[in-house]
Amino acid sequence: MSYIEAKVPPKREQRLGACNVYGGDGCGLKKSFGGCCLQQAKRGFGQGSICQLLPGTAIVNTISDAVVIVHGAIGCGGPGHTQNAGVRGTQMARGSTNPRGTLWLSTNLNERDVITGGEEKLEEAIRQADRRYRPSAIIVISSCVPGIIGDDIDAVTSRLQPEVAARLLPIHCEGFKTKIMATAYDAIYHSVARNLLDPEAETVSVIVDDIEVARERIRRSKLVNLLNVSSMGSVDEKELTRLLNGLGLEVQIFPCAAHPDDFRKVTEAALSISTCPTHDDYFVKHLQQQYGVPFVQRFMPIGIENTNQWLRAVAACFNLESIAEEIIARETAELRDALASLTPAFVGKKAMISAGEVRALSLGNLLQELGMEIVAVRPYHWDEFGETALDQLVANQVREPIINVATVHPYESVNLIGKTTPDIYFGHPSDSVWAAKTGIPTIPVYHGGYTYVGYAGAFEIARRAWRQLANPTFNHRLKQHVRQPYQAQWLAEHAFHYITEGDADGPY
Amino acid sequence: MAPISSFIERPRAFCALGGAVMTVTALPGAVPILHSALGCGGSIYYNQYGSTGYLGAGFCGGMSVPSSNVGEQEIVFGGVDRLDEQVRNTLKIVDGDLYVIVTGCTTDMIGDDIQSVVRDYADQAPIIGVETGGFRGDGYKGYDLVLQGLFRHYVERQDATDPLSINLWGIVPGQDVFWRGNLHNLKLSLEKLGLRVNTFFTDGATLDDLRQAGRAALNVVVSPRYGVTAAGVFEEVHGTPYLTTALPIGPSAMARFLREVSARLGLDAARVDAVVAAEERDYYFFIDRLADTYNDLDLQRYAVVVGDANYATALTRFLANDLGWLPSLTVITDDLYEDEQAHYHEELAALTSGVTPRLVFETDASEINRHFAKMWPRNRGQKFYHAFSPAFVVGSHLEREFAKNIGAAHLSVTYPIGNRVVIDRAYAGYHGALTLIEDLFGVIVAER
Ligand code: SF4
Repeated sequence: MSYIEAKVPPKREQRLGACNVYGGDGCGLKKSFGGCCLQQAKRGFGQGSICQLLPGTAIVNTISDAVVIVHGAIGCGGPGHTQNAGVRGTQMARGSTNPRGTLWLSTNLNERDVITGGEEKLEEAIRQADRRYRPSAIIVISSCVPGIIGDDIDAVTSRLQPEVAARLLPIHCEGFKTKIMATAYDAIYHSVARNLLDPEAETVSVIVDDIEVARERIRRSKLVNLLNVSSMGSVDEKELTRLLNGLGLEVQIFPCAAHPDDFRKVTEAALSISTCPTHDDYFVKHLQQQYGVPFVQRFMPIGIENTNQWLRAVAACFNLESIAEEIIARETAELRDALASLTPAFVGKKAMISAGEVRALSLGNLLQELGMEIVAVRPYHWDEFGETALDQLVANQVREPIINVATVHPYESVNLIGKTTPDIYFGHPSDSVWAAKTGIPTIPVYHGGYTYVGYAGAFEIARRAWRQLANPTFNHRLKQHVRQPYQAQWLAEHAFHYITEGDADGPY
Repeated sequence: MAPISSFIERPRAFCALGGAVMTVTALPGAVPILHSALGCGGSIYYNQYGSTGYLGAGFCGGMSVPSSNVGEQEIVFGGVDRLDEQVRNTLKIVDGDLYVIVTGCTTDMIGDDIQSVVRDYADQAPIIGVETGGFRGDGYKGYDLVLQGLFRHYVERQDATDPLSINLWGIVPGQDVFWRGNLHNLKLSLEKLGLRVNTFFTDGATLDDLRQAGRAALNVVVSPRYGVTAAGVFEEVHGTPYLTTALPIGPSAMARFLREVSARLGLDAARVDAVVAAEERDYYFFIDRLADTYNDLDLQRYAVVVGDANYATALTRFLANDLGWLPSLTVITDDLYEDEQAHYHEELAALTSGVTPRLVFETDASEINRHFAKMWPRNRGQKFYHAFSPAFVVGSHLEREFAKNIGAAHLSVTYPIGNRVVIDRAYAGYHGALTLIEDLFGVIVAER
């Protein structure tokens, strides 16, 4: 049975053996990943982290002409207030002069509902949402409470579907069910695959225009899906679209910001292009199996060589290798000239990175290309998809970088910063500030308004790093004036002391 | 059992756990320990980030909060052992002055006995536990629950009271985006009455001050709702009476507020009069030189006010009674039951300016259009149409769309606010009102 036939996709721990607790070196990580101990690893001290609902809402809140219902207690959808900024940006970029931003409801499950069940309330929310907002789709995304009280959101949505005009998409993102937030990507793609890909009844025209048909076939032979699960802002999309257009390919972007009615076009493409297997693996394989759409997903186009490889992989699918080489030669030559004035500032500089698995490692590759040394990488989780970039990262450097698999957990990063003294830290919101309080400059590892991917991304990241290193005063002074939450005793302790698996004897 | 409630569009509040975390992290040196699933810490932070005027994590908030991160196994077999390990290691790693265990939906539902863990560590560190599962209510409720816990288990019993000392609360960290500035301004004015004012969270307050809070002669809650149950608990445990009153913005409300507090404390009326007179002199010293612009540019506006139970009426009162505007629709966004609503109708019926705005209770931003349309007839092609113009919408960042639809100016004053950065700005008190005027009129002249 294919995964898609089940109501709920498997969690990443099951499907890929993914884990998010490790401290040691790259070699040790690969070794323990082979065994089973890595999955058993635990932290004796945990910090607030990220559940699958957060990336879940970050993606579905971007879907255009849709209403999101967060089925749970009142707080679980709260990040929607922050996600609002990016969604407004997209709406304005598409011409809205009065953007609404995110539109989500909470079923606001209370003390009564946890006893009596929340299905009726969800039904009422769906009916009202359909009537009030007239959306193309209503996305029901469930959090912990319905998972515990046993609400059946699939039953509710199929029961209500005949009553409402909007298409209903149930998505399971109960936070406690998986440690790996990346399970959210599968959960969303799962629902998309089950609910949005059916071809609409083709309008049968009496006279078939052969030329039209041929033209459409040719168009589709150069049509590609570029997948984005809210890890690229519009500037990033623009950069990759530019490169793909350079190969003569037409680009359509899913799932972020796409319209529910457009999703079935994803099956018409000649190729699915992922920028990260951790994001899209589940979906691109489904598209291949079910609709015969092949895919590439091995490289993330962050970093110069990574971008080259990514572009080559795409080009190879269309026999366009020579054009790709022309683009690569031209772009890298221009980029190297442009970087020449910036790279002297990076000589001898040490960096630490914390981000999603493939992103963290690929960014490490780029920083090495810019002349920095990576003292530690902190991937949010670990599975087979990190290996390519990890091998390269380790091979590029004399000194082995420390690998600390953690979904944020700043007590470990702050400890490691003390021991490895990086000059600069790359992290997500909620993470970087703890490095900032140790006095070093930081750079957002992702921000919807900034470019990260492709050649433009390489240059822009270099510019940002140059700028931060040029005046790190803010964080220098911050360090002198704020109280750290950690005991001195902890900062002297082995960084992975509270982890039950990994290389506890390393020099950390 | 809690009453039946409905869904809420873009709720303007954290969950009880979120409010609890905002409250604990607002206390100096305090550390929350979340006993919850792994995502609650991140969810609260990513909510806080873009809704509270960019209030950061602080000493041990954000992703540094210790959290038991219970999973399926604990939910089936119980999470107390995991919590026990978490607390034990927290005390070794985190350098806090007070630890507050707060629970999330998952652990509250399985009924973990957190108080047993609290008892086990009570001799090692100051630690309390509060049940704050998200389904118990909103962020305001979480604030109240944490205060109740502190008042019961942390604030020490006192033999003597200090007749000139008061505690001031009812302004909820984060939910009131201007909480720090507002507490500060009210404290300054109250000190002019000769009072010692403990706000718990700001102005260099320490945990010692909180522990000694039982010395106060009166607890002043500047809210009809938030922290009121906690005030009852305080009275029950420490015998301290309390006063609940509206959040005061501007000279009219401040005069009423200062008189109310001093009457309850039996202070000399002449002294209060003198303080009020001096504060008003100071306020009008500034207003004097704004008067030209107010009159020359005709800065009177119709207004729609959207906010929580503290702000909606407080802002309306200031706009009507001091600024001379025409607030016409006031929207309270709390999810209130009918018997709780009468109070706000009375408040608005008593505006001294004689303006009577329509008051509605509505949680959902997109429904405000509908309330407005019912109130103000559309132009049906009339040549002479009495329009709702010039107009201003004072609300949250969610009201930008509505404001633009009705051609009104807009300022974010109430939660959520992601389009302003707020540090020590205040709207309460005398100077808060001056700042509010600067910000409102600043929007109007911004394009000049
Ligand atoms: S862990 Fe569960 S309760 Fe917490 S934010 Fe995620 S879905 Fe909500």
